[in-house]
Amino acid sequence: MQNFSDWLAATALSHLFAGLTWFVPVVQTVHILSIAVVVTTLGMLDFRLLRLSRRGPPLSTMAGNFIPWTWRALGVLLVSGILLIITEPARELMNGAFRLKMLLVLLLVLLTFTCQKATAADPDYWSASPGRRRLGGVLGAASLVLCVSIVAAGRLIAYL
Amino acid sequence: MTLLAMMTWLEHRPFAISIAESTWLFPIIETVHVLALTIVVGSVAMMDLRLLGVGRNDRAASEVIASTLPWAWSSFVVAVTAGSLLFSSKAATYYVNLPFRIKVACLALAGVNMLIFHLVTARGMAAWDRGTPPPAARRAAALSLTLWIVIVATGRWIGFT
Repeated sequence: MQNFSDWLAATALSHLFAGLTWFVPVVQTVHILSIAVVVTTLGMLDFRLLRLSRRGPPLSTMAGNFIPWTWRALGVLLVSGILLIITEPARELMNGAFRLKMLLVLLLVLLTFTCQKATAADPDYWSASPGRRRLGGVLGAASLVLCVSIVAAGRLIAYL
Repeated sequence: MTLLAMMTWLEHRPFAISIAESTWLFPIIETVHVLALTIVVGSVAMMDLRLLGVGRNDRAASEVIASTLPWAWSSFVVAVTAGSLLFSSKAATYYVNLPFRIKVACLALAGVNMLIFHLVTARGMAAWDRGTPPPAARRAAALSLTLWIVIVATGRWIGFT
């Protein structure tokens, strides 16, 4: 990883981005705005799974409206994140908080994908039985914990 | 006492000194601030995009606002509280900081914009609740979305000054 980081830092693209003083703050702003979309859409769905909130349309309708935005925002996060890595490879790639964050993001993507599939196949999936309601609560809580941990790990990168 | 003198007084309060001197208090409060502001911006954007007619518009505007506004307000309270604690740790420095001043001005404008929308524009909402919002509502939504993007951008900019 150290070799890859050194190689990336020596590329013309990395030098170009690093030379633009506005580049990192602007890309980070886009990154935060996309996190806002992911955290808000998933947070609202998680609260419904946890039955902490009953506002809004049925969970399946809400998921159908929200999840496409979650995936689009994750796409923007991937692109803006890669741009930040190209600009300062060692700051991210050699950072423990960054590596933890990537692992948590992978878990969140898998969890969201699985829940989305279940909801799309059966709109009443999460209310079909007491066991399903419990499962929904556990997965909703896991998703919330992942969202909070990902934001915390992301902020921690700057301090390690 | 001038405002700047008040800021110097504020940053010498024991809690402000603790935040400034502790290794982890600032990053922890900052994480709470970031989490809260992502929910503020996300929920405000949901209402604005509904008024602008972006995305699925199968829900009435009043329904979207009623179910989203509690999220926006509760997270806003958390974001302002955490933000004020961060501010107190270097109050005099932030007070004279240009991006910080732009950010506060935009927050005030966003507040006025929201107040006008809820007190004036939203009065006739029954007439367009399920249809296309009038130009005044769409202008308010576009302004709100722009202001919140600038608030996030200037907030991030503070960290680079």
